[in-house]
Amino acid sequence: MKYRDILMEQEDLVSPGISACQGCGAELCLRTALRVLGKNTVVAIPPGCLAGAGVVGWNYDNGLKIPVHITLLDNTASFLAGVKELYDYLDEDVQVVAIAGDGATADCGFQSLSGAAERGHNIIYICYDNEGYMNTGFQRSGTTTKGSHTSTTPVGSLIKGKAQHKKDMPMIMAMHNAAYVATLNPAYMKDFVSKLKKAMSVKEGLSYLHVCSPCPTGWRFNSDLSIEVARKAVKTNFFPLYEYENNSFKLKKVANPEPVSNFLKLSKKFKHLDEKDIEEIQAHVDEKYNNLVNLAGENIN
Amino acid sequence: MSKVMATTGNTAAAIGAALAKPQVIAAYPITPQSSVVENLAGMIANGELNSKMVEVESEHSAMSVVQGAAVSGARTFTATSAQGLALMYEPYFRMSTLRLPMVMAIAGREMTSPETVWGSQQDSISVRDAGWLQMYVEDNQEILDMIIQGYKVAENQKVLLPINIIYDGFFLSHLMERVEVPPQEKVDQFLPGYNPQHVKFNPSEPMAVDPLTPGDILMEYREDHLKAAHKALEVIDDVDNDFGNSFGRYYGGAVQEYLCDDADIVLVTMGSMTGTAKEAVNIKREQGIKAGLLKIRAMRPFPETKVNEVLKGKKAVAVVDRNVCFGWNTGTLFVEVKAALNRCDDISLVPVIGGLGGADITLNHFTNCIDLLQKTSDYKKYHKCIWFKKGGELHEVS
Repeated sequence: MKYRDILMEQEDLVSPGISACQGCGAELCLRTALRVLGKNTVVAIPPGCLAGAGVVGWNYDNGLKIPVHITLLDNTASFLAGVKELYDYLDEDVQVVAIAGDGATADCGFQSLSGAAERGHNIIYICYDNEGYMNTGFQRSGTTTKGSHTSTTPVGSLIKGKAQHKKDMPMIMAMHNAAYVATLNPAYMKDFVSKLKKAMSVKEGLSYLHVCSPCPTGWRFNSDLSIEVARKAVKTNFFPLYEYENNSFKLKKVANPEPVSNFLKLSKKFKHLDEKDIEEIQAHVDEKYNNLVNLAGENIN
Repeated sequence: MSKVMATTGNTAAAIGAALAKPQVIAAYPITPQSSVVENLAGMIANGELNSKMVEVESEHSAMSVVQGAAVSGARTFTATSAQGLALMYEPYFRMSTLRLPMVMAIAGREMTSPETVWGSQQDSISVRDAGWLQMYVEDNQEILDMIIQGYKVAENQKVLLPINIIYDGFFLSHLMERVEVPPQEKVDQFLPGYNPQHVKFNPSEPMAVDPLTPGDILMEYREDHLKAAHKALEVIDDVDNDFGNSFGRYYGGAVQEYLCDDADIVLVTMGSMTGTAKEAVNIKREQGIKAGLLKIRAMRPFPETKVNEVLKGKKAVAVVDRNVCFGWNTGTLFVEVKAALNRCDDISLVPVIGGLGGADITLNHFTNCIDLLQKTSDYKKYHKCIWFKKGGELHEVS
């Protein structure tokens, strides 16, 4: 089935009436992922934007048409490890999937994810990275990028936004030797679907999918620009698309990458950055990208 | 035929757990519990136990793994102590409020600080209000038997709550005693498989587990939870009786009385100190003193009615705690007993604290304690807390 057919024809497994903010990258990621994953799936969603949008359920209704549980903020991977162990014990083939935000993944949920990846439980862990605790009012997380204006890294007269670069989750998970690691972006749906399908084909070990999830409300751009922001993240190498499996990296090369300022200027969370700040971010982006080029070697297309 | 062996409390716990055939086990090592996990891992490695075992990276994940398995319908087991239990608190609370029955053994250990690894009830007693059932046991046989009974209580359709089987670290976890191991077939007859109907996490029957819940509905969940915990008091007694009928060992259910009927003076104890206290009662009985003992087995739910029935009309009662209740300057069990006896002002009720951080509780402590109770029925004089000090001495602390 072609990816367009999957998106057009597969049933939307989100209950009617569920909606996140207009233009939410995470909601698009959820609906697409579930269409691809299908009904033989159980889903864990920790507290965060999707749980807050009612995807587990609220107002006396279920949020999904498939089994869904709100895990604790910090135990999604270990909870799902237990689910998978029972299905293994019963010899039943059920897809066990996490759809978690960056806080529940990179910050307090990291230990649980690290342990599950090391032990190699056969689960699919999808992180929608909107670069902060957007559900609770745009606080910074470990994956917030440098310079970002958030409610806990405000722009003041002394300090202007987040002082540190983001925690590189997909690379960290690759270094766990997870069975499959990939970066996904909602502006590249064909690539998104094929990576998800690859994760579904993994029968031993953990798959980690890191999704760029632009957040109109938190990053402050117009809600009709979500896909444009997501696309610019790739076009500027701010969010490179790559995969890791069997000890090797595969990188999708961007022809004639644009300057990172083309991405930064779309979101008001970066509007205070001066030329020097942007140069520094550009240097960081180039360094990370060159590392990936070196790691991918001949596997660049 | 039962097999008789000399074994530690931790081994007895592991054997009890294995006899219950949990489908998923997850645990993390911590002193003094570690050999429970090691024993179970050994049984699985040798093919003696068919369970999935997850060697997790923390106790938080241990409880989370068994939670995932239990939500999906598994019988599960874990064990921990002290700091491990503290780290587990978040998923621990959720296990009970999601009404997921399981058994967790706790080899009781003092809470840090000062830094310590030795026995105490402070760890388990500090989480007594997290919705679990909590049973304290006296010896290694009771550990094994109660882990089996624990599943039957927890999985009862009227209960559906997780249960802790708690035994004193080192005093029981590491010391050997004679233990009878019942044959597997008899345990299978006593404890059938677990087949939950109230929660599913399976694509064949889609269900949202724990959606965001408004306060009025949450209140109904809490009310049901409290009712179930109350119902567990009856179930604990029934299961004790059934177990006795099958295996010949009766423990008395929620409490165990020892020479209480005609007693004027009663020691109230919990855990491994009970054996020593019974010996003190025997010695004092030989001297013509009408002493008795009440062993509290169920801390949660608290057997208020039974405690009241047994202690009503007694002259003097000492409640001995291997833990403290911060803010009351007594032990925690004392506060519970006092609440249960709220209309019995004529009893001289004495709080006693001893054995913290693995300190010894000796025969002299208990005989001295009985002497003290006998000297006075003056409530006002002895309402201050008595501390068991080194060398068997009692020390009154205001």
